[in-house]
Amino acid sequence: MSVHHPDEMLLTEYSAGTLTEPMALCIRMHLERCAHCRSQLDMLNSLGAIMLDHSHHASKVSDDLFDSILTRLDDPEQPPDNEQQATETDNRSPLEKMLGTDLQSLPWKRQLADVSVCDLSDYFPGDERVTLQKLCAGGRAPSHTHGGKEATLVLTGAFADGNGVFSKGDFVILDEHHDHQPVALHGEDCITLSVLDAPVRLTGRLTRLLNPFIR
Amino acid sequence: MNKSVTGKGHNVTPLQDSSRRSERSKDQWSQLLEQVGASQDRGAFHQLFEHFGPQIKYYAISNGIANQAEELVQEVMISIWRRASTYDWRKAAASTWIFTIARNQRIDMLRKIQRGSAEMAIETEDLWQIPGDDEKDPVPSLHRIIAERRIRDSFQHLPEEQVAVLAKVYLEHKSHQEVAQEMDIPLGTVKSRVRLALGKLKVILQDQDL
Ligand SMILES: [Zn+2]
Repeated sequence: MSVHHPDEMLLTEYSAGTLTEPMALCIRMHLERCAHCRSQLDMLNSLGAIMLDHSHHASKVSDDLFDSILTRLDDPEQPPDNEQQATETDNRSPLEKMLGTDLQSLPWKRQLADVSVCDLSDYFPGDERVTLQKLCAGGRAPSHTHGGKEATLVLTGAFADGNGVFSKGDFVILDEHHDHQPVALHGEDCITLSVLDAPVRLTGRLTRLLNPFIR
Repeated sequence: MNKSVTGKGHNVTPLQDSSRRSERSKDQWSQLLEQVGASQDRGAFHQLFEHFGPQIKYYAISNGIANQAEELVQEVMISIWRRASTYDWRKAAASTWIFTIARNQRIDMLRKIQRGSAEMAIETEDLWQIPGDDEKDPVPSLHRIIAERRIRDSFQHLPEEQVAVLAKVYLEHKSHQEVAQEMDIPLGTVKSRVRLALGKLKVILQDQDL
């Protein structure tokens, strides 16, 4: 059972479907191992259904829409959906499915004596930096802070820093306030999935203000 | 374990832990969905369409995909039809199950527009699960039904400003950051409104449940 969870804001945004793909992947991987957050999510999804129901502005649909749907159901050209059976026999985690290989066989790049990195950013459309980071068993990373907000999910092993011990399934956001020197516990390499906010992230009004000057 | 439902304003028959009892507390939409799953009942399917179709269309419009609104309704209804046999009322109410399908189809549609013909590295359903697809977790049905009723009942007493924030998050696909910008209130206020609302709905579990 996990000890470190995403907060209710992140779970709410996950339930609403507003998170970016890499962030959703982190939360999904945490949910795999956390019954507590799964039951929170059940309730948040119920809230989503209530919100949908609450919108008194339900929009009238075209008169022939239902017939179009029936026509599609009857269309022999459209094969029945077999995805369900496919997922039932596939026990790999969403991350393993995406990578198509196990974590050890990835093209790791060694950065420091104890630290290797594998960049996954190209799997995703946004500008977040998505990486797998490996701290070898018993290894030590140099002291550092985090430039942006870095969501971290522990995939294997465990690491410890001044803030506690983070083991398989744990989710933590590391940011500029988090000056740490992580040490991997002995016995197993500690691999984490990390999603770093884009260094400059422009949204909403700021985008309109700033974009003319930087483009 | 089985906490009784108290609180004012409740008119809920006490639920007992017998399958016959919980069978009776199944809502009408869940029954209709089961009929679709068990016998491809088109009458039941039509009733679901009449109820949820306009909701899904509104959902698409408020999400800024008005041009694809009826396409989304079609995709969601077809997905409901095809997966109905996997629906398990003990895992989620029909409305919750349908919400997650609508959410996923919306995400899927946006991802396809964004990506064009490029292949997606990961399926939408691997990122966002539909409740009940994972056998790992047999949620106690009674607990779920009680929780869901509690949320539904207390939702009616939420202050409008909290409902407004939740509506932006759930129906307009806005992050908390974007809600703050749009409503011109500090991010902290958005977060505290969401937190207050979730607290009142008892969506946030107490620490001892951890
Ligand atoms: Zn958790």
